[in-house]
Amino acid sequence: MDLKRTPFYNIHVKLGAKMVDFAGFSMPVQYDSIIKEHEAVRTKAGVFDVSHMGEFLLEGNDVIDFLQYVMINDLNLLEPSKGQYSCMCYENGTVVDDLVYYEETFDRFRMIVNAGNIEKDFQWLNDHIRGKDVKITNLSSERCRLAFQGPKSDEYLQPLVDVDLLAVNRFYFAHCMLSGVPIFIARTGYTGERGFEISFDNEFAEKIWDELIKAGASPAGLGARDSLRLEATYSLYGHEISDSITPVEAGLFWLVKPKEGIDYIGKNVLMEQKIEGTDRIIVGLNLIDRGVIRDNFKIFKDGAEIGYITSGGYSPTLKKTIGLGLIKKQHKEEGTELEIEVRNKFLKGVVVSTPFYSNV
Amino acid sequence: MEYEFPDELKYLQTHEWVRIEDNIATVGITDYAQHQLGDIVYVELPEIGTTLKKGVNVAEIESVKAVGELMMPLSGKIIEVNTGLADNPESVNSSPYGTGWMVKIEIINNSEIDELLSVEAYKEIVKTEKK
Repeated sequence: MDLKRTPFYNIHVKLGAKMVDFAGFSMPVQYDSIIKEHEAVRTKAGVFDVSHMGEFLLEGNDVIDFLQYVMINDLNLLEPSKGQYSCMCYENGTVVDDLVYYEETFDRFRMIVNAGNIEKDFQWLNDHIRGKDVKITNLSSERCRLAFQGPKSDEYLQPLVDVDLLAVNRFYFAHCMLSGVPIFIARTGYTGERGFEISFDNEFAEKIWDELIKAGASPAGLGARDSLRLEATYSLYGHEISDSITPVEAGLFWLVKPKEGIDYIGKNVLMEQKIEGTDRIIVGLNLIDRGVIRDNFKIFKDGAEIGYITSGGYSPTLKKTIGLGLIKKQHKEEGTELEIEVRNKFLKGVVVSTPFYSNV
Repeated sequence: MEYEFPDELKYLQTHEWVRIEDNIATVGITDYAQHQLGDIVYVELPEIGTTLKKGVNVAEIESVKAVGELMMPLSGKIIEVNTGLADNPESVNSSPYGTGWMVKIEIINNSEIDELLSVEAYKEIVKTEKK
């Protein structure tokens, strides 16, 4: 089966990007150098094609009630023009997906989901409507999505848009024009820098991309997207959260809201985990010996296996290897030394505090 | 994509280059190999004095996204390693045949030199791999 393509595919190929299969899409992992792209985002601005991700519209009088039931975060904390990050969980507290939804009006929400979970999420949401007034439309293949991230993102973008960007606070969004093109723009991101995520109709793909590059941003691929989010210590579905890891185990206990009087899927298990704690927990890790931590390496303490690396790699900002590991909670204290199995060797590692980096 | 392959060097199918001066061989990875691996962030070099056979793994090359292996092109004793790579692993990317060299070997068996590839033969291999 051929890989799917985003509206930016030809641009990536023309720029000489290394293309890989990500969630069934042909996506750019890097254009030139992951490290250079990462550094461009940390020092000025980068633009990422994230059109492989899913975009849904939820409409109806009961949307808020419905979301309160399927989401673990609390929509009472939301208001029109604002977005919210949440997990959707199974009854046992493990995660269906992590996502962001934006309240346009009380009866109209926009939701952005992970590329690998689009069909699963659409099915899950529809399966749980239970006769309420909620209609869900899958806009994923009609609209494209770009992330525009970096300390200069406001400076580069402001001349192109007809809205005061500084009035759009973190997690808020607006509908506006970018060089004459209608866009949805939210001050959200996955890099640990100031920045925006925008969505718009497919027909404007090349025009918007060209405007953002002309404004001074560098193209950035999925390789940099991963090293940036790892430094910022954001969870990646399938790694820190999954259908076998709960948000509390992942350290996202703050996402689990009490929501008095409101039942939601996974509430019992998650509230108990939040109060009692969990047997295992995600921690930040550095190596004491030299090397590189990678996904799925096993972690040992005093000869016993205590967990594994959920995400590992190299941090261009800190100039060393960093990783996140899911380990038995007895060892979670900062400074705890442990061994990480790197191919045929055991390297000394240590638990460190997170996030590794923050600039938001 | 135009890769650089110096004419005066010898090569291996596994993408190492070799410079031979008297009985000393200097070894690194080719421009094609560094491009495939991406940004190099760490190179695990062997101990000086180790003697290894041709074809054995002598160094591990870690990039952001992958791990590559440096294979011994000839049997010999490791007499020097590029300690500069500890602080500047990226020189493997920017100067694979210069400051990005990895190990120097004292050659044990001269007849193995004939088994190394010429630059023309290596270019053919790269052409086939790119397809």
